[in-house]
Order: sequence, then structure tokens, then C-alpha cells
Amino acid sequence: MRTHFTRRNALHGLMGALGGVFTLSAARAAKAAVQKVFVSTQAPKGYDPTQHKWLMALDIEQCIGCGLCVEACKTENHVPKGSSYFRTWIERYIIKRPRPGSSEARGETLVDSPNGGMDGFPPALVPREEILKSFFVPKLCNLCAHSPCVQACPVGATFDTPDGVVLVDPNYCIGCGFCIQACPYGCRFMNPETKTAEKCTLCYHRITRGLKPACVEVCPTEARIFGDLKNPVADDPIQKFIEKNKLQSLKPHLGTEPRVMYAGMDKEVR
Amino acid sequence: MPYRKMPPQVLRLVLLTVGVVVCYLLAKGILTPQSFDEYGHYRGSALQEVASQTPVYAGQQACAECHAKALEVVAKFEHKTVSCESCHGVNQPHIENPDVKTTRLTDSHCVRCHERNPARPGWLKQVASKEHYHGQRCAECHTPHQPNEI
Repeated sequence: MRTHFTRRNALHGLMGALGGVFTLSAARAAKAAVQKVFVSTQAPKGYDPTQHKWLMALDIEQCIGCGLCVEACKTENHVPKGSSYFRTWIERYIIKRPRPGSSEARGETLVDSPNGGMDGFPPALVPREEILKSFFVPKLCNLCAHSPCVQACPVGATFDTPDGVVLVDPNYCIGCGFCIQACPYGCRFMNPETKTAEKCTLCYHRITRGLKPACVEVCPTEARIFGDLKNPVADDPIQKFIEKNKLQSLKPHLGTEPRVMYAGMDKEVR
Repeated sequence: MPYRKMPPQVLRLVLLTVGVVVCYLLAKGILTPQSFDEYGHYRGSALQEVASQTPVYAGQQACAECHAKALEVVAKFEHKTVSCESCHGVNQPHIENPDVKTTRLTDSHCVRCHERNPARPGWLKQVASKEHYHGQRCAECHTPHQPNEI
């Protein structure tokens, strides 16, 4: 078979390809314009992310380890059941008394979180006499200012929003799991159904509607304090909390600059 | 300076470069989402997509629309920091249709917070449920909305 590779044929082919590309892009632009007008989303209208800065703080002295927040988070965000999928969870720290005769101030540290603390905690792992002190620490995404997870994502599917939340774009996530390894706080997991990375969104669908995150809503002791730094209300709980308490963040030596703050945290908490 | 024709190999290189740049710009224009770079180096419409999830917990405000009196009572007693949905569960179905009752509470819900545990802070009232009037229901003596009254 003879091929007719002439200038005329080549130019025709080139023009066809260019025309196709332009038609495609024009069709895309038209589709986007039509979608903007006719397709209504469930997203709340009139919410401007640049006008807010959300923050959560935690009061360890107030946490009673009831696990209502963990349960509420799973219900609210349809987090898969199973003991390895949590957007928030509670850890119990038990600091044992030092061995008699040793010159140390405190003994061994035990940490447990059976099913994320969702079903409560068994009375104690060690006899009462051996416990120097024991407390609960609620954990969630630390909302780092320099997030390792955002830097690790190879496709830019996770990002810091202007309103202070780190989100995952499930349409762009390729499920490689780099962000899960990168997070020093263990706050991410791979959703077994969607095969994309998932994490605490600070209940982004709630806060954009003027509701509190589910965990804050159900916390019976106000151990979780939530607020908007850009729009303080009268008697703002988060402003009062920041003024009143000495605050710390988790693993400050990593330079991730977590924005989530803890009050009443002991040195064993990591 | 006399006019010199551009050597054909240079012309081909120039055309190739222009072609590659045009292809790159076209591909970028087509593949970049419309809302990219709206807030940063990511798809801006992803924010709306995440926000479009439907809330499950209705929030205290919704309860106050009908049960303002009950809320006033609770606000005077020690359970004032406890929100409705902490005990009564997800209220959204009840709000949409008041005939749908909220979850009925059992004693296991009381001890979820009040069972004695060394890790619980000292300010919280705790009982060892096996020793404290074992066999009786909590509500026989205590009123959950007014926990100070026995």
C-alpha cells in the first residue's frame, strides 16, 4: 500500500487536530458556564473562605474519656467502621509510679486507645496503687501551618484552605498513601471503600453552615473548644480559652507548627 | 547587512519549539481545572464539594426551637454543658418528623461518663456501678436534666 504523505494532507490533518482541540476547550468552557447557572450544589451559599479562620483547642483537664466525640465523628462523616479508621480518637495515658528505690520522678508511660475510645475504657491496665497519674488526650488533625501531608502529596490533592483547614480533594487523590506516612500525628487513613486518603475536615460541611463540628457539639464537658479567630463573638469561648490557659502543641520540635492547641498537657504526651 | 536566508535546519528548530510551546499551552488550558489557583495551588471548587456533604447532627439551636423550656431547665444545673444530642443521639430525623422519637436512654449511657475510672479527672462525679445501688435504675433516684436533685 502506498502512503500519500503530501504537504496538503499534512496541513489538512494539522488543521483538523487544531480545530478539534479548540472545539473541545470551547465545549468545556460552555459546560462550566452552564453548570454554574443551572446546577445547584448542596454547598452553603455565601460562604467566603477568606473571611474565616477556624481553630480547635483541647482541654485535657476536662476530657472524661466518654468517647461520644469519636462516635459522633464516625456517624457524622460516615467514617468506616473498624478499629483502624478514625478522624478523631481518644488516648488514655497512664504514668506509673517509679520503681521503689529508683531516683526517677515518674515511671513507665502506658498509652492505650481501645477502638479509638469509642466504647469507653476498661477500668485500668495496672493496679490503682501503681498509677502515678492518668488522663485522657483527645486527638485529631493538628491543622499544621507547615503540613507535612500537603508537602508529601504528589498530585496536590491535599491543601491548606484560607480558613485554616487541611482538606483532601477525593477526586484528585490517587490513593498512594504518602500523606499517611508523612503525618507525624497519625491523623490520616486510607478509606477502604473509596481508596482515597481521609482525615478530619473540622466538619467543613458543618462549619460552613454555622454549626459546630460534631465532636464539639456532643462533647459533654467542653473539653473541645472551637471558634473563628477572624470573627470573635461576644464571650468568645476560644478567645477566653487562649487568654486563660498555658497552651502547648504536639511535637513542636518537628517544625510543623500545629495550630491545634492543648491545655493541661503533660510532658509524656506525644 | 546583506539579506541572508535563515538556514532550513534553524527554521525547523524554531518551528518545532513554537509547536511544542503551543501544545504545552493548549494542554495546560484544557487540563487545568477552571477553579485552580482560586485560593492556592489546588482546585478551588474542591472546597464546595467537601462542604456539600449533608450534616447529620442538627445542633442545639434546632432543638431550642421547640424545647426551649427543657433547655432552660438544663441550663440551671450541672448538665448545662451537655448538649441535647450528647444523650438523645442524632436529632435530624426527629426534627424532620416529630413523630420519630429520639433514641431511648438506658443506664449504660449514664455510666459512659460517670463510671469510676482512675483516668477521669477528680472534678467529675463518678460511681462504681457494681457497688452503687446495683440493680436499680439510675433514673429511679436521679433526674438527668436536674442532676443535683435526688
